[in-house]
Amino acid sequence: MALFAVVQAAFLLTLLSFRTYQSEVLSEPLPWTPESLEVSINSAQQCLYLQWRVHNLTHHQELKMVFQIEISRIETSNVIWVENYSIPVTWNQVLHWSWESKLPLECVTHFVRIRSLVADASIPEPRFWSNWSSWEEVDAQKSLGQDPLFVFPKDKLVEEGSNVTICYVSRSPESNISCAMEDVPIHGKRLSPNVSVFILNDVRFIRETGTNIYCLNPSNMSGIILYVSKVLEEPKDFSCETQDLKSLNCTWDPGHDTTLRHQSSQRYTLFESFSGKTKLCEHKKWCHWQVAPDSQETYNLTLTAENQLRRRSVSILFNLTHRVHPMKPFNVFLKSISATNATMTWKVHPVGNYSTLLCQVALHGEGKVIQHNVSVKVKSQYFLSELEPVTEYVTRVRCAAANHFWKWSEWIGQTFTTLEAAPSEAPDVWRNVKSVLGSHIVTLFWRPLSKSHAHGKILFYNVVIENLDKPSSVKLLSIPAPANGTELTLDQCSYQIHVTANNSVGTSPASIIVISRDPGNKNVEEGRIQGTEDGFSLSWKPQSGDVIGYVVDWYPQDPRCQLQWKNLDPNTTSTVIRSDAFRPGIRYNFRIYEISTERIAYLLEKKTGYAQELAPSENPQVAVSNLTSHSFSLSWKDYSTDSQSSFIQGYHVYLKPKEEQCHPGFEKVVLSDDSVCCQYKIDNPEQKTFVVENLQPESFYEFLVTPYTSVGEGPHDAFTKVTIPDEYSHVLIRIILPMIFCLLLLMVLCYLTSQWMKEKCYPDIPDPYKSSVLSLIKYKENHHPTIMNVNDCVPDAIEVVNKLEGSKIQFLGARKSLTEMEFTKPAYLYLLPTENYSGPGPCICFENFTYNQAASDSGSCGHVPVLLKTPPSQLALLTSPENLLKTLEQNYVNSSGGSPAGETSLNYVSQLASHMSGDKDSLPTNPPGPALCSEYRTQMAVSLGLASPSPSENSSLSSVTLLDQGEPRR
Amino acid sequence: MRAQLPRRVLLSLVLRLLFLKPVVTGSCSGDDQELLKQLQRQTDFMQDTSRLLDPYMHAQGLDVPGLKEHCQEHPGVFPRENALHGLSRRGFLQTLNAKLGHVLHRLTILQQDLPKVQLTVKRYIYGIRNNIYCLAQLLPGSSETAEPTQAGTEDSPPPPPASDTFQRKLQGCQFLRGYHRFMHSVGQVFHKWRESPSRSRRHSPHRALRKGAYRMQPSMRGKRLMPRGQLPQ
Repeated sequence: MALFAVVQAAFLLTLLSFRTYQSEVLSEPLPWTPESLEVSINSAQQCLYLQWRVHNLTHHQELKMVFQIEISRIETSNVIWVENYSIPVTWNQVLHWSWESKLPLECVTHFVRIRSLVADASIPEPRFWSNWSSWEEVDAQKSLGQDPLFVFPKDKLVEEGSNVTICYVSRSPESNISCAMEDVPIHGKRLSPNVSVFILNDVRFIRETGTNIYCLNPSNMSGIILYVSKVLEEPKDFSCETQDLKSLNCTWDPGHDTTLRHQSSQRYTLFESFSGKTKLCEHKKWCHWQVAPDSQETYNLTLTAENQLRRRSVSILFNLTHRVHPMKPFNVFLKSISATNATMTWKVHPVGNYSTLLCQVALHGEGKVIQHNVSVKVKSQYFLSELEPVTEYVTRVRCAAANHFWKWSEWIGQTFTTLEAAPSEAPDVWRNVKSVLGSHIVTLFWRPLSKSHAHGKILFYNVVIENLDKPSSVKLLSIPAPANGTELTLDQCSYQIHVTANNSVGTSPASIIVISRDPGNKNVEEGRIQGTEDGFSLSWKPQSGDVIGYVVDWYPQDPRCQLQWKNLDPNTTSTVIRSDAFRPGIRYNFRIYEISTERIAYLLEKKTGYAQELAPSENPQVAVSNLTSHSFSLSWKDYSTDSQSSFIQGYHVYLKPKEEQCHPGFEKVVLSDDSVCCQYKIDNPEQKTFVVENLQPESFYEFLVTPYTSVGEGPHDAFTKVTIPDEYSHVLIRIILPMIFCLLLLMVLCYLTSQWMKEKCYPDIPDPYKSSVLSLIKYKENHHPTIMNVNDCVPDAIEVVNKLEGSKIQFLGARKSLTEMEFTKPAYLYLLPTENYSGPGPCICFENFTYNQAASDSGSCGHVPVLLKTPPSQLALLTSPENLLKTLEQNYVNSSGGSPAGETSLNYVSQLASHMSGDKDSLPTNPPGPALCSEYRTQMAVSLGLASPSPSENSSLSSVTLLDQGEPRR
Repeated sequence: MRAQLPRRVLLSLVLRLLFLKPVVTGSCSGDDQELLKQLQRQTDFMQDTSRLLDPYMHAQGLDVPGLKEHCQEHPGVFPRENALHGLSRRGFLQTLNAKLGHVLHRLTILQQDLPKVQLTVKRYIYGIRNNIYCLAQLLPGSSETAEPTQAGTEDSPPPPPASDTFQRKLQGCQFLRGYHRFMHSVGQVFHKWRESPSRSRRHSPHRALRKGAYRMQPSMRGKRLMPRGQLPQ
């Protein structure tokens, strides 16, 4: 036991001594300890750069060593980074190591130390770390200027999506410093009274000139630019090809451009691994690579995209001859162009020894593309056949390597047009025949040939009319295009008509139709047909076995629309007529013909119908007649049932009832506006009259006539009002009209009787100018014909006739009846003596009213009827003949200008006008006086050619005449 | 249509500015009033901030609240308007010529930031300088070589170029704002040159210029009149 204790004590002592020795050994510096540690800052990259040396290495000694580096922040105990850096070390080598800090180095103080470990196999274990170097302090703030505020890092470049840490450093501890990125405030964490840190996560690209981040206090501002670039992408679609086996053209899609302002842009390099050659590309999307002259066939090209933050590469391996992309052919020509053929020639660029190319010829025309492949060495041609005349074609050619197809070259082409040819088909011809007065009016229709059949521009149509009854009779009509028909008048003979279309090259085959003298079946009844959305479905029964076909023609009811037709095979007995021209509400008439082997058309059936029937949009114009106290008639005979928008089945006569009950034959219906009407139904569409009976006199009715069809009736628009007369009005008319007639007849008879009485009892005064005396005077060549010379007429007696008092004389001038005036004395008319007359005022006076007149034997017209109510002033003037004459004289003087002095003439004198003053100006002031006399018309002529008539004479006569000319002036 | 009209007007103005008679013919017009008129138009055109400053601020992201307030003219870079009015005519033209030279140099530096705008503005400035040259030819003693002189020497010197990009951005903005203000002041000076106290003699440019010259330089009163076609110094 004691021995065990001794041994144990000895072991412990030995162990203790060994540990002591070991600790002494380790405490000594190792021979390869890192020395001369220097730490520097790269602010742009926020990196710490360390460099140091390892002494005591022999001249050619190389040891593999591990260096452990510790980095602390703010204080040495706050170690934030430890890294082991392995590197072979040689004699006198300066070792470098860098560390990028996420926090800008200017924000806080950093500390760095290092130690080493020999990890070389030549050094036997155990291996021990050397001692730590002393802490190296890195305080970037010491090198800052005197600015009061800083923001870091400056001009940092990051990729989009990165997290960035920034800080501000203030010279004085301030709390009112705010920071923002662009115009968005950011909030950070305070590291010290002077320093705050901000972490920006997932920064995005904003602009090429960088993102502005700034901090400011009330007096200062500082900021940084953060350059955020797009992430560099791997080039896509990297490919290389050659056109001549001399150079390669490599292309790729670079993706996003990561270029920023004030920053170097991304660059691309090509590296060929077999030759080891590298080329820096000048462009971002393509690059040329010169092919080695040593006939290198296989290439392994690597494209590398690189910017300050990232590098991306992509490689391709290929055989050069498999990447031949020929240049497009050249010298493309077309020759020997005809209506249906052409020859195309072209040349290709040689591609090294691979001179055989595969070329593709494509012909575009008529909406079709035809392709042919041709093997070509240098020069080639291709024969284009089966072309359409007068058609524009585009022919193109491209080529590719024949042995190893890679890519077609670009197309190169030419356009050409084939020449014209004669029309290949006969025009489609149809006819319409009308028999008029023993002749046939034949209207020919033809459709223009399609472009594929016309083979050029149709210039004219030839119509040859051959009389089958007189074979020698042939007539040719040439109708210029683009006419599509013509009209012929033929007699009752049979005719064969040939129609051909002609262009500049030739004539088409003839289309033949025969017009028979027999018009065929005229008594074909017209049937009705109902159209559908698909068209009109027609069927018929063949009548004879030998037909070469059928024709269905149709035309709308509107005569302005042209006839259409459809040719059908001889085995066809039904068809559906489709046309975009079919419109709802339009009636179409169809005729079905069979064409005999003699090309004669025989009418089989007639149909009429609508593609879609529409309800009538208008009602007939109804005339009302035979209006009595109990009935009236309605008539709408002008209403055409054929030109309506559907088949008219009849008419509805609506009558608005006056009573609860409708008239017999009418039934009560409710209209769409909920009004109640009496309806009478007329089933016959051709019945266009209707008599409304059993009406009440002296009342009014409203009626409406509207057609009805299978799709409805016409509009219920305004009703027409009819007023029914009373029961006796017609009787009164029957009495009054004959009475009026009899009265008129009686009046006529009275008038005729009075005329007869007048002629017999008191005929008209003969017109002196119409007297036979005038002819005698003319015979005696008297240039101044007169009716009666006063000198030749010497009155020897004056007969005085009493005039009845109260005779009624209508005074026209004053519009006043003379009955209002009183004639207390008889009116007289005086003849003035003519013999030895030399004094003033010769005149002859007649009474105005009749020939029962009074005359005075005195030589003056002094006896004038005196009006009792004549004003005194007037009476004073007219009470004696002298006064009258004086008045006449004055009047003459006033109007002497109207007759030339000394001229012999005849004037008629109004006898009763004389006692009216001739002063025209005084007329309005004295209307009643002259009005009595001026009514009378001149009946007597007085010769002014008397021996030396004094001016006063003329004056008097003319004055009277003037007064007689009309009513007094006002 | 509404947008086309200003474009047409602008195009017309640009063409007139670019193809000035002296530039095209290589010889100067003797019509000083016409030269003043053209210079007036050119300065009016160049004082518009939409020519340079606004595109620059937009491209640099400085047109946001918080930053645009710091885009103010740095004093001392361009002479103030009262200083320009106090210069003699020759001195004014020389100062203007020199400042425009500085602007051209600075625009070359800003070329990367304003690739399209600065080229156009440079052409305008060349046009202005040509007219300045021609106008200076009408001054007496024009045969002497007119060396550009720095005006406003009493102002503080311009700040040195900043080391960091953010400060350079702001400096560029401040410089351009000062340039537009300067061109406005230059326009005011030309406007005064064109002013004539007598409206009846408005079409006598030489007389008007002389009057303006007397007003600016009272010490020249009593000296002999300048020969016709020459501007007072």
